[in-house]
Amino acid sequence: MRLVRYVVPILAFLSVMAIPLAAQGTGAIRGEVRDSVTKQALAGVIIRIQGTQRETQTAPDGSYSFADVPSGTVTLRATRIGFGPQTQSATVSNGGSAEALFALAPQASILEPVVVTGYGTTRREAITGSVATVDPGTANVGVINNANQMIQGRVAGVEIVQNNGEPGAGAQVRIRGSTSIGASNEPLYVIDGIPVSNDPTQGEGLGVSGTSPSLARSPLALLNPSDIGSITILKDASATAIYGSRGANGVILIETKKGTVGSSTIEYDAYVATASPAKRLDVLTGSEYRSFIQSQVALHNTNPLKGLDSSYITALGTANTDWAGATTRSAVTQNQNLRFSGGSDVTRYLASLNYMNQQGVALSNGMKRYQGRLSATHQAFNSRLRIGLNVTASQSNDDYITFENTGGFEGGVFENVATFNPTRPVTVTDSTGTHFYEIGPGSQSVRNPVALEKQLSDFGTTNRTLGNMSADFDLTTSLTARINVGVDKSTGLRQIYFPRSSPAGAEFGGLARQGNYSSQSRTLQAQLTFRHDFGGVHSFDVVGAYEWTQLDRDSVIAEARNFLTDLFTFNNMGAGTVQVNPVSGGVTDRWISFLSRANYGYKEKYFLTGVVRYDGRSSFAEGHKWTLFPGISGSWHLSQESFMSNSPFSDLRVRVGYGVVGNPGAPAYSSLVTFGNEKYVFGTTPITAFTPNNIGNPNLTFERTSQVDVGVDYGLMQNRLSGSIEYYIKNTTDLLLRHKVSQPSAVQDRLENIGSVKNHGIELTLDALPISRSDFTWRAGINVSFERNTAQNIGGGAISFGTVSGQGQSGQNAERLASGYALGAFYGPVFVGVDSAGKQQFSCSSGTTCVGGITTDLKDATRSVIGNPNPSMTLGFHSEISKGRFDFSLLVRGAFGQDVFNNTALVYSTKGNALQGKNFLRDALTDPIGLREASIFSSRWIEDGSFLRLQNVTLGYTFDIPKGLGSARTARLYVSGDNLLLLTGYSGLDPEVYANAGLVSRNIDYLSYPRPRTVTAGVRVAF
Amino acid sequence: MKNSLRFTWFSALVALTLPLACTDLTESPKSQVTPGGFFRTEAEVVSGVAGVYNLLRNDGTLWGYYNMSEISTDEMIVPTRGNDWKDNGRWLELHRQTWQAGSPAGLDDIERIYRDSYVAIARSNILLDRLKSVTITNQASIEAELRTLRAFFYYLLLDDFGGVPLATDGAVVPRPRVTRDSLFRFIESELLAVRGTLPLNRPANEWGRVRRGVADAILASIYLNAGVYAKNTGVSATAYNTCLGVTVTGGDACAMAIAYSDSILNSGAYSLAASWRSNFTADNRNSLENIFVARNAPITDLGLNFPMRALHYNQFTPAPWNGFSAVAEAYQAFDSADQRRQIFLVGQQYQLERLAAGDTVPVNDRGGSPLVFTDTIGDATLAAENEGARIMKYPIDPAHVAQNNGNDFVFFRLGEIYLIKAEAQNEQTAGSAPALVLVNQLRARVFSPVKPRVTIDRAAILQERLFEMTGEGKRRTDLIRHGKYTTWTEATINGHNAATEDFRILLPIPQSEIDANPLLCQNPGYGGTACP
Repeated sequence: MRLVRYVVPILAFLSVMAIPLAAQGTGAIRGEVRDSVTKQALAGVIIRIQGTQRETQTAPDGSYSFADVPSGTVTLRATRIGFGPQTQSATVSNGGSAEALFALAPQASILEPVVVTGYGTTRREAITGSVATVDPGTANVGVINNANQMIQGRVAGVEIVQNNGEPGAGAQVRIRGSTSIGASNEPLYVIDGIPVSNDPTQGEGLGVSGTSPSLARSPLALLNPSDIGSITILKDASATAIYGSRGANGVILIETKKGTVGSSTIEYDAYVATASPAKRLDVLTGSEYRSFIQSQVALHNTNPLKGLDSSYITALGTANTDWAGATTRSAVTQNQNLRFSGGSDVTRYLASLNYMNQQGVALSNGMKRYQGRLSATHQAFNSRLRIGLNVTASQSNDDYITFENTGGFEGGVFENVATFNPTRPVTVTDSTGTHFYEIGPGSQSVRNPVALEKQLSDFGTTNRTLGNMSADFDLTTSLTARINVGVDKSTGLRQIYFPRSSPAGAEFGGLARQGNYSSQSRTLQAQLTFRHDFGGVHSFDVVGAYEWTQLDRDSVIAEARNFLTDLFTFNNMGAGTVQVNPVSGGVTDRWISFLSRANYGYKEKYFLTGVVRYDGRSSFAEGHKWTLFPGISGSWHLSQESFMSNSPFSDLRVRVGYGVVGNPGAPAYSSLVTFGNEKYVFGTTPITAFTPNNIGNPNLTFERTSQVDVGVDYGLMQNRLSGSIEYYIKNTTDLLLRHKVSQPSAVQDRLENIGSVKNHGIELTLDALPISRSDFTWRAGINVSFERNTAQNIGGGAISFGTVSGQGQSGQNAERLASGYALGAFYGPVFVGVDSAGKQQFSCSSGTTCVGGITTDLKDATRSVIGNPNPSMTLGFHSEISKGRFDFSLLVRGAFGQDVFNNTALVYSTKGNALQGKNFLRDALTDPIGLREASIFSSRWIEDGSFLRLQNVTLGYTFDIPKGLGSARTARLYVSGDNLLLLTGYSGLDPEVYANAGLVSRNIDYLSYPRPRTVTAGVRVAF
Repeated sequence: MKNSLRFTWFSALVALTLPLACTDLTESPKSQVTPGGFFRTEAEVVSGVAGVYNLLRNDGTLWGYYNMSEISTDEMIVPTRGNDWKDNGRWLELHRQTWQAGSPAGLDDIERIYRDSYVAIARSNILLDRLKSVTITNQASIEAELRTLRAFFYYLLLDDFGGVPLATDGAVVPRPRVTRDSLFRFIESELLAVRGTLPLNRPANEWGRVRRGVADAILASIYLNAGVYAKNTGVSATAYNTCLGVTVTGGDACAMAIAYSDSILNSGAYSLAASWRSNFTADNRNSLENIFVARNAPITDLGLNFPMRALHYNQFTPAPWNGFSAVAEAYQAFDSADQRRQIFLVGQQYQLERLAAGDTVPVNDRGGSPLVFTDTIGDATLAAENEGARIMKYPIDPAHVAQNNGNDFVFFRLGEIYLIKAEAQNEQTAGSAPALVLVNQLRARVFSPVKPRVTIDRAAILQERLFEMTGEGKRRTDLIRHGKYTTWTEATINGHNAATEDFRILLPIPQSEIDANPLLCQNPGYGGTACP
């Protein structure tokens, strides 16, 4: 088997060495391109000589030319966004000049003619797998700080849920659903051919009093959305097999913008946006809380066994504080881009600068990004050598607040918004001056949320540099060698200080922590590409490559406590009298791969693609580090057949694909027996105890997903209506799952390859161009996907996860995995109602307290599946209209059939909070549940999370700037609204939520950061 | 043209040779130790042994085993206070003895005992395997230390689950359960084999490490409980299970309980502390009475958190959890003149750190009223935050760092050895005069004026164990030996106010363990596959 890794590239190479090098005379080709409807000249049309690497673009007058074309008949292909591609042949004579004129027809969908498919590009017609593209120009609307947001709602089968409304929040990205239980379900991101890490670049935050910190922000924010030239999503295994062991969750390929020839331009665009929370926690106001307490005391006075005693009235304050309002604001975002590009035939460049400052809707929260990018390309040896360089350097400065992700009885900002007594003021003034109100001096478990936002410092800084340099050399006209070297380096700093004057920091006498993370990924790719077209009948496109990637991570964290003063914050940790043991660690991870892809086309009717990737990953066990991942797919371009010439289809093709891909999600050293360290005290001195922290697994290997994909791409009415229908089945086996082993064992579980998951789904897209006149265009598209997943086998028993958060909820899990369950299925007692004593009732089938199938004792309640967090259908709808100088676009997204566990309501719509002087959600006022009844997890808190969201609406106006104002040519002004409307029956803040509650937990809503509603005004000027 | 041809061949060569150059995927961890080449010196092996000790103060012992030993008995209760301490019904399940293999307590406290005891056993086995292939200073003594620790963790499993899988090597493979009697014989033979090799005393820098007294104390305890531990069937849930008539190495179990108690009493290494309380205070490492402890220190992650479990939110910094309370009857059983009653907090409460500094600062509850602990709890499912006396056997450490108090947790101390010997003597001769002397020696130091007992019987001894050892994690074992574990009652509404099933004297093997090991069988009464 070891031989395979040498054989693949050698074969790929030898197979192309046999092509004879032809030498003959040359001539020229020239021509022009027009719109077939308006007859206007078309600029920016890509003309390519098929079977070669040569291509050019049309000038503003629609003209183009090629020199030094070898004599003979060549096929030219003209392509442009928004138009159907066209081919023509031209015969070049030695020293002569041939002419080829094109008239392109408008087309419904925005389809790049050449698609980045990993390790090269593929002509759209030749694609046989399931590949989707997003047009960055259309998708970059509103306040977008990351590439994921550009994909949201625009591609069938790609579901993107942002964790919460925090600026830069991470997202849960699922391409064709979740397939893994223990390993990641996140896709692979590849920027300019280099796989980049999507792991957090900064250390974890610090929750107050041991509560979990808020979630990490998205590391993809390093890339300015305006710099993105193309986004391709590889969905099925036959397409992702080229990424082999990293392809199981789909691949998102991003290419950055490059300089174009001859057009020296300067572009400036900027926007200002204002955002406010779309919805706030609906808690009792001060006066409502007061009258509730008074009514409970009155109840107590008539019946001493009920209500609250009179001391609760004494404890009431006189203020009326809206804590939800006091902790949030109208936040301002500004974004500025400056880009210039230009160059000659030989050397082209593009450089850009970006500054973004996005305030969060919560006080003291936001992110800033400074980013610069340079892209340069250079050609030599008659264009046979092409060198490219891309460098992106960015700094993001994050300002965090402490808010919940999961938690117990204490919490950060939003827990205290829900519970802090509304009859208490934000600040009080006394002899020592004005300061934040707290319920008592020193450490407190209930804290003023405004003070938490303002007093606790938590800053993150990430410097990230992403660079790659590539060299392509044409060995012959058909054979190209390529070397691509990339580096992704980031350093992240996290600085935290909990002041001694804050009730969160008082228990430590002030707590300072600094954490440094550095991560460096280096990639080398060596590749040979053979492209040849034999007389317009047989076309070959063969790639063979070797890739080496190493990821090194290092971290160091230091912490000090007990400061005399809050003066230093985190800047003088030596001043603390308690030094917490510093922690440091280093990890190295390595991938080595050999891969090949061959695409064969016959008469532009039949295409066949085969992929093999032989992948090695260091973290698997010796003897199990290497696996072969194959993929095969084919397409039949039916509309090219003569028997289809009278059909209504202007385009019709059928695709079938199969592939096996992997999930490498085993952390480094998973297969080894390793010892970590603990401490124990002998005498009076702590000593280091070396104890096993992993018992290893000598058989550990890749998790594998095999996938079958069947698709039909269609076009009607000269492609004014087009789209596709796809069906897929995925089987994931050898799941990487932490599995409990038999005792005695020094570690109770280890990573094993156990169990399987099955997914299947249907995806539909339809794009239409209902109106296409010279001054009025209307384009619209819809995508719908249906997806189901089921755990087939998880190695016996059931796994509980989805930790329920909140006071008195420890040990309670909301989700369960067992054979036959959907991933993340909610599992628990079924709520029936409330009895006359105010106790919650559940269905039951046996037990001493079970009467008539109903019990109030959880011990006897029957548990069953009470919800499915996976949507049964997701939908995206977009529409763009341009009328004269105005343009208008909208994006609507929806997901249907998924359930959300409203953990916030479970814990905070409990009147019993008043017993502890805490506020609660208004809904509890009207429910019949008793004052002293504890909150109990049940189906009562599982809600339908279906929603339809108006994600973005944009209205723009383009005008020519008068010549007198310099050389500016055009300018566009626009206003844009994000999240203006949300239609949902869900009672919480927002049904799109995420809490990291273990394994494949989904849709748990625990005190999420409110999602903003944003209005943006912007301008774009090109010189 | 020539140049570019050369370039062609050069690139082709590069493209072909690169793959051949680098296919190395070997891993060498940077921040972790891999076992090959480690544990070669005494210091390295002792660092591994410290990892076994660390499980004495872990989830399995001070949380799982301790909670089970206390909360399932007539000493302690964790009432539900509004939303607080509901926790899926787990705490009341422990107290009412309604746990199952897969119930919240089964998957939490009971699972922790099983899991962490075995983690300690596995860590010992790995080191004992390693000691077969290396030679280090003090090898025999360290081996004896490890075997004693391993025997202690098997003793915890024996006490809670009966016969469990017995492993003496490091292989991770499914193993079947052995009988309770054969696990008992294994523990006995191990301790007998190594006790002579253990040092009688240790220098101050080794404080906390096993001495001969530890082996003898475990032996005395398993011999006193031989009527329970050494039987595969026939343990009574409702009658006293005597050691008398159970044959062990050296003779009758009661006689051997006395013999190994005497071995400790006569060793000269231990003496009763003049101040009973000093066995539990933050400086109790200096107590000459304590035989086997889990070492704690006022250092982050290295301290005892018992004050957090019991105290009210406003009594201590950081804010405690207001949970564990005394069963009213346990508190009420104490003589008001008995100094040992001072472990209970009842009545108006004070800020305890200020109190330790001599500053009496009354605290309020969260509603703003004075915090007054009652001894009774009206309804354990709907308790108010001031209900229930609190057990502060281990007083707060004035030097505590956050939750970490420096009090060592005591597994065995001389006071208990007195009571073990007395109980065994009373089995040999009901109403034994020497037994009465031992009991009264303990009473003498906590009553002023002295208030000796005049007669002795099984009930008196069980009650003395309550007075002397409340909150020390022994109550469940005592009640089972005395045939009272399933029959004790209390007045609390919805508490434990009726006898439970006989099979409750053994805990279920947690369902998660059965799922992981197909060879495991279940204890009677809990469903599943019955043991042969």
